[in-house]
Amino acid sequence: MSQPPARILLVEDTPTQAEVAKALLRDLGVEIRHAETAGRALADAQAFPPDAILLDLELPDFSGFELMRKLRAEGVEAAIIVVTANASVNTAVEAMRQGAVDFIVKPYAKARLTVTLTNALEKRALTQELKTVRAQLSRDRFFGFIGASAPMQAVYRTIESVAASRASVFITGESGTGKELAAEAIHKASPRAAKPFVALNCGAIPRDLLESEVFGHVKGAFTGATDNRVGAAKQADGGTLFLDEIGEMPLEMQVKLLRFVQTGSFQPVGASRTEKVDVRFVCATNRDPLAEVEAGRFREDLYYRLYVVPLALPPLRERGADAVLIARVLLAQANREEGRRFRGFAPEAEQAMQAYPWPGNVRQLQNVVRNVVVLHDGEVVTPAMLPPMLLRAAPRGGLAGQPVPAEPSLPAEPAVAPAEPLLPAEPAAAPADPVALPGVPMPALPAPAPEPVFFAPPPVVYVASPPPPPRIEPLAVMEKRLILAALAETQNDVARAAALLEINPSTVYRKLQSWKAAG
Amino acid sequence: MIDPDATGCDHFAVHALDPSIAGQLAEDLPRPDFLRIIRTFHDDLTRLTAELAAAVRQGDARGFQRAAHSLAGAAGAVGALRLEAAARRGMLGAEAPSPALAAQIGAEAQAALVALADLIA
Repeated sequence: MSQPPARILLVEDTPTQAEVAKALLRDLGVEIRHAETAGRALADAQAFPPDAILLDLELPDFSGFELMRKLRAEGVEAAIIVVTANASVNTAVEAMRQGAVDFIVKPYAKARLTVTLTNALEKRALTQELKTVRAQLSRDRFFGFIGASAPMQAVYRTIESVAASRASVFITGESGTGKELAAEAIHKASPRAAKPFVALNCGAIPRDLLESEVFGHVKGAFTGATDNRVGAAKQADGGTLFLDEIGEMPLEMQVKLLRFVQTGSFQPVGASRTEKVDVRFVCATNRDPLAEVEAGRFREDLYYRLYVVPLALPPLRERGADAVLIARVLLAQANREEGRRFRGFAPEAEQAMQAYPWPGNVRQLQNVVRNVVVLHDGEVVTPAMLPPMLLRAAPRGGLAGQPVPAEPSLPAEPAVAPAEPLLPAEPAAAPADPVALPGVPMPALPAPAPEPVFFAPPPVVYVASPPPPPRIEPLAVMEKRLILAALAETQNDVARAAALLEINPSTVYRKLQSWKAAG
Repeated sequence: MIDPDATGCDHFAVHALDPSIAGQLAEDLPRPDFLRIIRTFHDDLTRLTAELAAAVRQGDARGFQRAAHSLAGAAGAVGALRLEAAARRGMLGAEAPSPALAAQIGAEAQAALVALADLIA
């Protein structure tokens, strides 16, 4: 593809000089605009963004140096070549100091102008290219993705490269890595962007309905088919059909899909005629597709039809600082939605998030951030607000000043005196009421012992004698006792108490509410 | 030869037109382009010498300098060295415009045009 002609802005107030320059430039195949004043040049530099500016220093309204400063201040990045009759060293030095790339003394020959301009344009092109490449290498957003890590830059480049093609893309990656996001990005970056993007989760559709979901059906095709129904294949005509969890597709359906992929034709369930559509296939799985082929669960011929361009999404644990980058964006988003005022994460909290392996990837991170925002309020997310599992994963010494919570102590285990007691010797005053969040209706937590304490784990157990067998009580009583004990141990931090009990925080709130209502 | 201050240009030693500049232009450019330049130069001289004369009549030193500056630029473009030198002297004068200098610039402009006409003949 040929490059558009370079744009040259000629700033020259003397018509003869301007005519000479224009005549000398004519053979170079450049597009020229002529400004006779500095003011006109400023306007033209915006309306006709030039690649290079040939600038006379002595202009009627203000000096060429002043014009250079104004041009740079306005973000004009063109290569500026100063053209002057004053061949002094001082002028040349000042021109370079102001950002000129070269300097021509009038009168000049065609060869001199050509060489100077060609060099300047080449330099400018290289600078622009470098800028573009740098911008591409440091992108922290790409369509719906957030992430600046090297593995994600590779993902962005692959998506950009493959988008314009019609080739099928096979996305692999652990659950929560953004496979559907990648499929959407491929679609949005493609010439099909204005046409439909239809996503179908093959694992979420009952086997019997999958064929109808993909290809549609005609009225009466089966019991319950009371009307004609257009399937995903037809809906995606001209656009992209995303088949998620394709590894879950039954083998008999794979045969039909293979035919569709090969021919672009399909037959709606119960129909006598085939239909032809123009669809680009993107599919995804969190399994190893080749292993699925070897295990006989995925047809080899279909695999080779679909696995044209593989796109492997990295797990969050391999994305360096992306976890923190994503968490910050999610925090701002959750803040807006939940009416909170968090400004960011404490450094220790960010360290913990970066150290955690995130087995559930971005989806898990989303849940954690949402959980923190829903259950807490403040300006800074502290490590104490994070689920304990994150803190356990943090490297030792990584959370300066923040003790990593111990594993929940089980009464049956002979305990060793911990370095710091799990519970304060005295019933601690509740911390700044971490659960009394504005806008979140919840009962006041019971004071440390507003009623008979059901269960109070001893702060320190020194004797390794076997504990007595627990007294059998009604389940509801045991449940209440355990929940209150967990709250006592976490100093009324509902999120951490829920994590210790391996239940949802909302369950704790619900229980507290019901106990309060019951008096 | 031209001294750096353009004050001592030897009228008899310097041609009205420097062949290395005007000749180079004529060589580098298609004839229509070269002719367009000469026409533009002619227009510039006509307009600027009139502005010089008006500045002399009105005692407008600033206007005189401005016109002299433009004349120097135009002259330099086509290699009209004597005209350029005279115009540069006009650019330097901070006091009242000099009728004598204006007359000399006008004469040099005529000489340059004659020389250019010879070149394109």
